[in-house]
Amino acid sequence: MVNVSLTLLLMPPLLATCVAILARPSRPVVGWMSVIASSVSFAASIALCVAVVPAEPPADPAATLWRVDALSALLALCIAFVALLASVFGPALGRAESENASQTRQFHIFSNAFALAMLAAVTVQNVALMWVAIEATTITSAMVIPLNRTKASVEASWKYILICSVGIALAFAGTVLAYFDFVATAGEVPGALNWTVLREAARALHPQLLQPAFAFIVIGYGTKAGLAPMHTWLPDAHSEAPSPISAMMSGVLLAVAMYAIARWKAVVDASVDPSFTNGLLIGFGLLSMTIGAFSLVVQRHYKRMLAYSSVEHIGLVSIGLALGPLGTFAALLHVVNHAVAKSMSFLLAGRILRRYGTTEIAKVTGLLKVLPWTGALFAVGVLALVGLPPFGLFVSEFLLVRAAIVTGRLWVAAAVLVLLLTVFISLINHLNRMLYGDAPAGVAIGERRGWSAAAFAVSVAVLIVLGVTLPRPIATLIDLSVRGLIP
Amino acid sequence: MDGTFSQLVMLGSSGMLLTALIVLWRKGIPAYVTAYRWQAWLLAAITGTVAYYGRDPRLYWVAALLLALKGAAIPALLGTMQRRFGAQREATPYVNTETSLVIASLLVLFAYVLARPWMAVTDLPTRQGLPLALGLLFVSLFIVVSRKKAITQVIGFLMLENAIALLAAVGTRGVPLLVELGVFLDALMGFLVMQIFVYHIHETFNTIDVEELARLRH
Repeated sequence: MVNVSLTLLLMPPLLATCVAILARPSRPVVGWMSVIASSVSFAASIALCVAVVPAEPPADPAATLWRVDALSALLALCIAFVALLASVFGPALGRAESENASQTRQFHIFSNAFALAMLAAVTVQNVALMWVAIEATTITSAMVIPLNRTKASVEASWKYILICSVGIALAFAGTVLAYFDFVATAGEVPGALNWTVLREAARALHPQLLQPAFAFIVIGYGTKAGLAPMHTWLPDAHSEAPSPISAMMSGVLLAVAMYAIARWKAVVDASVDPSFTNGLLIGFGLLSMTIGAFSLVVQRHYKRMLAYSSVEHIGLVSIGLALGPLGTFAALLHVVNHAVAKSMSFLLAGRILRRYGTTEIAKVTGLLKVLPWTGALFAVGVLALVGLPPFGLFVSEFLLVRAAIVTGRLWVAAAVLVLLLTVFISLINHLNRMLYGDAPAGVAIGERRGWSAAAFAVSVAVLIVLGVTLPRPIATLIDLSVRGLIP
Repeated sequence: MDGTFSQLVMLGSSGMLLTALIVLWRKGIPAYVTAYRWQAWLLAAITGTVAYYGRDPRLYWVAALLLALKGAAIPALLGTMQRRFGAQREATPYVNTETSLVIASLLVLFAYVLARPWMAVTDLPTRQGLPLALGLLFVSLFIVVSRKKAITQVIGFLMLENAIALLAAVGTRGVPLLVELGVFLDALMGFLVMQIFVYHIHETFNTIDVEELARLRH
């Protein structure tokens, strides 16, 4: 069951990439192929979630290349969902940002390869191959950023590829350093880099070696996750990329990098006192939240606004991972909520950009008149992102603050609350300026409704359901993931 | 026998570190490409030495791949790139040559301090290469952040990759072959994408000075 679902999860994006490479020039059918492939992949990710809930450990952890536990399945579900949304709103289906055929072709090649790399990163056993997959996400997503070749997009893509490649290389150095310790202690064992094997062996490893190795890993994957102060590429790349790619980068790619950190944290915690990893993650998390929150106050562009909001949210996730079982639960729930809310907001921001032709908040006025559907949904997305009830992010942020109080870190709870309040005020302020007022001259008023609003209704429904009741299947899945990380 | 082995590894690793220092000290891009080529050859030689003394035939393949990819293909592409842009010089880096060399020596010192716990737990004959590999890692990182030409930054990044490959060769006798192949593929694709982007920068900005890339702020 797991094997079949895994094949159905990974093969469709691979096939879609191949089709997109072969179809030259690109035809609309390629876009539909992508949608079908992502739908199959999404269905397979649901099947995986169902399959992992009984939770039987694999027979031989050293032998298999792939391994799916609850955490992998949870991340795969988020990735497949956002990839499906992104493919539906990609070029050639809607009349999207690029009309040019060669740009459309490149978009389909790299967006499918990007989804494939992320799905592989969360399902592969071997932590070094996980690194290979995460590095592949950098390469594939970077290629899509300068599709519309402007000075800004060229600059953003250069910063992105350089900073992330260097950062991720440091994560590999950390992986090699941890492996060095493993080889020096246990000798060369088959499957030594497999997460389960590594974790079993971790008790015997040297804390004084794992600490610097983990520091390399957090800085490395933290660069990719957008943790401050390594986040400098993020607002540029997320704001200049085509909107479907921004949605994937902001919604799930950051979470994939945090997933890698969570996996390594579980290994290191088996050997080193957890206060070491917790301290690092809380430090980076609070710094990211602070920088995210204050950049939001002075923000003048709405796509960059969403990007800095991602910095802030990834800071929250990082803090949550450091706050024991309840905090980890909150962090993983937050990953799910953020994936849904942020992907929706970025895709809607793409529609706003197409109509207004500017990314400046000050030049976007009367959004509710100009684009009634998009405007209302965008407002819902932003309200969800600031953590208002009845949306899911309220619940995960509430749980996170509670976890901080339960574990006795009152000052962390206080700092998080103050920063969340700052974010709340500044985002609501920006949103107000966009929604109301008169439409600027030269911008057409009104939009045709259609199937596109229905697709976002799914996102809104998910956010509300997660905010009102925590459905049992999701709670079980996250619970199992937490137990996988914290024994 | 172990004596010769560790001396050979030590010699090779020091050579690799030296080639990185050449980048800090010379100003012409062609010199950087040559330095990178030498470094890749040294890396292949060290990997070959580890294969010979460790009796690990797998590592011969890795050494051969290193020679073909990093010793021949990438320097050739770098050469093409450098000729396309005409005579480029790293005339005014963010940090001047003298300070750069001082910082590099401090970084190597720091690498020795950082590597001490690792040196204490292992008795591998190759362990002397470990602080040098970490030193190379920090120096390459410094090249990326302190130099202004996009092509120099690419070379710094490639040297960083070499440092990690050296770390894997001297610390763990190489990572498993499947991982090695994955890393090679990523390195090659990453380099090709960076190369495309350097051409983009040249076309859009008419320079490969990354100082010009300052439109996106806040």
